[in-house]
Amino acid sequence: MQIRIKFDDEWSEEFLDKVENDGPWANWELYKLAVQAEKHLAIPEFEGLQAPHHLNQLTPLPHQLEAARQVVETMNGKAILADEVGLGKTIEAGLIIKEYMIRGLVKKVLILVPASLVSQWAFELNTKFHIPAVVQRKSYVWDSCDCIVSSIDTAKRNPHRDIIFKQEYDLIIIDEAHKLKNNKTKNYEFVQSLKKKFCLLLTATPIQNKVEEIFHLVSLLKPGHLGNAALFSEKYKGKGRTIYEDEHLKKLVNTVMIRNRRADTGIEWTKRHVETIIIKFSPTEQALYDAVAAFRSQSEGAGSAFSSLTLQREACSSKEAVFTTLKNMSQKHENPAPEFIEKLNNLFETAKQVERNSKAEKALELIQKINDKVIIFTEYRATQLYLQWFLQQNGISSVPFRGGFKRGKKDWMKELFQNKIQVLIATEAGGEGINLQFCHHLINFDLPWNPMRLEQRIGRVHRLGQTQDVMIYNFATENTVEEHILKLLYEKIQLFEKVIGELDDILTKLDIGNIEDYLVDVVEGSKSEGEMKIKMDNLSSMIQFAQEMKEGNLHAATGNS
Amino acid sequence: MQQQEIHDFLLTYFKANHCEIIENHPAYLTIQLTIELDKELMNRPFYWHYLEKTGGIPNPSQLTLITDPQQAPDDVKGELIHFGSQRLHQIFASTKKLAGFIRLYEEIIQQDHTQNPLYPWLSINAKVSYQSDRKKDILLSAGLNLITGEIVEQFHERLLQIQVTPKIPDYSFTLSPLIKPKSGLLRLDSYIRRTFEGDDHTWAERAIERWEDDLRLLENFYQDMEDKAESYYTEKEALQNRYEPNITISIVNGGLFYLSNQAI
Repeated sequence: MQIRIKFDDEWSEEFLDKVENDGPWANWELYKLAVQAEKHLAIPEFEGLQAPHHLNQLTPLPHQLEAARQVVETMNGKAILADEVGLGKTIEAGLIIKEYMIRGLVKKVLILVPASLVSQWAFELNTKFHIPAVVQRKSYVWDSCDCIVSSIDTAKRNPHRDIIFKQEYDLIIIDEAHKLKNNKTKNYEFVQSLKKKFCLLLTATPIQNKVEEIFHLVSLLKPGHLGNAALFSEKYKGKGRTIYEDEHLKKLVNTVMIRNRRADTGIEWTKRHVETIIIKFSPTEQALYDAVAAFRSQSEGAGSAFSSLTLQREACSSKEAVFTTLKNMSQKHENPAPEFIEKLNNLFETAKQVERNSKAEKALELIQKINDKVIIFTEYRATQLYLQWFLQQNGISSVPFRGGFKRGKKDWMKELFQNKIQVLIATEAGGEGINLQFCHHLINFDLPWNPMRLEQRIGRVHRLGQTQDVMIYNFATENTVEEHILKLLYEKIQLFEKVIGELDDILTKLDIGNIEDYLVDVVEGSKSEGEMKIKMDNLSSMIQFAQEMKEGNLHAATGNS
Repeated sequence: MQQQEIHDFLLTYFKANHCEIIENHPAYLTIQLTIELDKELMNRPFYWHYLEKTGGIPNPSQLTLITDPQQAPDDVKGELIHFGSQRLHQIFASTKKLAGFIRLYEEIIQQDHTQNPLYPWLSINAKVSYQSDRKKDILLSAGLNLITGEIVEQFHERLLQIQVTPKIPDYSFTLSPLIKPKSGLLRLDSYIRRTFEGDDHTWAERAIERWEDDLRLLENFYQDMEDKAESYYTEKEALQNRYEPNITISIVNGGLFYLSNQAI
């Protein structure tokens, strides 16, 4: 067979030059060293991994090495890395980049990640893998650096976009790739038009809702692998998540996707200890809660049902949170009915009467007792601000963390928390992507109504690298919606004790589109507390059933028969 | 590469480049760089440019390289060197750059005053890379006798057994080559090509199969489109870049060696 052979002519020319000019000639010791160095650098086999020999600060776990090997040897360098949260997809990606760089198959790398993770990626590649990855801050970086980490939102915009298309990237990596599940978005179109010699897509949730999502993801990576759009939709449309039961499709997807599950990795995880702390309202707090609850039943049919439930949840958090919503409500209506204004004013008055925050007091007591790093999660920014002030009043300094922070500020806050400050107060949006495994106390000051978000909160601390058992303190106020959700749902399904990622599986099986909407429905739609209780019971038994089925499967799979 | 091996490598490198070894501790090395090596390794062109313009007194850096962090005393500050560290790879690259071309003579300790003829050999050490979406390197060393046209493999290993010197020894004289260096290089080139053409190239066939498989999928994906989208052509090109098998032969170093009749 005819293969193109390229011969290095440059050396020959220079050599003849030296012969002509009688030198200068190299020194024999160096000459021998050069041959020795080359022997160490030569790649002895097509198969196997060279990268581990080049890493001294990092001992990859067996499943990570196996993933890297598989991508290089059987997937030809294009893969979806879809390990469950916390198993180290970044490490796998780092190993693969390193391997290709050592083999000289990859020189230029483009890494597109959410803005909040840019610095973290660059840092890990530099320290763990000795890859000189650079954070994109200025336009000229695109040309002058070989390995660049950028947010996709920056990259897709001009002038960056045009510059990127002029580069010849050998490897493109996209983190949180599930955000590309919709092929109609600008981000999708951008990634599609990039030239992908080698490509890795990282996501913990390759399918969230529809089977088309996996089609779009795979087609981005390897167009045609799942057929073309017309054929695919004919075959699978409307099948939802049952795709997992389609053996053929599953097999096909598995040739481009690696999904390690916690249970398969054999890693010992530290435990989670959960403590529910029921807090009794002060009389004025109770009055506020009752008032907003009453507001709800009064204004039925006015379309404000949702905000009144919001108000109830906020009243469980802080009066400041209630204030914010009330203020928004009063500004929203241009010509409000006088009675509406009066009601709002009454609520304002009631809120003003609240002179203390029982939850915050409890939190303070707990933080003092723990005497170690603590993360407090709250759903509300107003509560976050209040807590910061309140802790400060009591001699405890804290740093805030929000999704909206700029990248540098997030890094700075994390660093302060790691090295100097005892408490970090985060809102929901701050939950994604940041790694805080150096801390193992977590207070859920109020509860999100989406178990996945709760899981994400816990995932910030309970992840690979956590050496201690993780303590989770759930705050709930007595006789409120919050207590209902906690007691009737979360505790029943033993949400907090679950291993990371298990819930992911269960909810996927259940096919409840949006559990939060469903819960709002249950709470809103129920005429009495009894009815709500029954509905919640139904939901929790469904989840339990799904879980038992899963365990049943497991037993069947491991059985001898 | 073991840490001890790295340590020895570094020591030889700096000595060969005439640097003063300030301390050679089993766990670390402290080196006074020469001006040349400072320019080579320390990446501070502005300093040297400034100095040359102002005529100041050059102050080349000292470098401490730690090869055994466990044994190194705590108060030793330096760069940790291991097989993956960028400094070591910089030094590898520098070695290759500084040692590309050589000319040596066999050293013969002469008892009487008879004259020794030395035969001219042209030798190259080459790296042959098989590359598709995977890669493998093969190192080879070949020597061509510029009088007889004989080609000897593993030439470098043989050279290691011989005493050599950069100056022609007393009582030795060189025979003039019948083959000019230029045509010598061509002979070695075609010798290497012949060798590797005859090798087992299943790896390339497999790569082409993978390429064709992916190409089929791609065609299928875009089959309903009359005017193919830009991304179709981009993908197609990407597949070629990834899978197309090729062999590159690059030369590590090489040179002229004048050796006695019995040396090789």
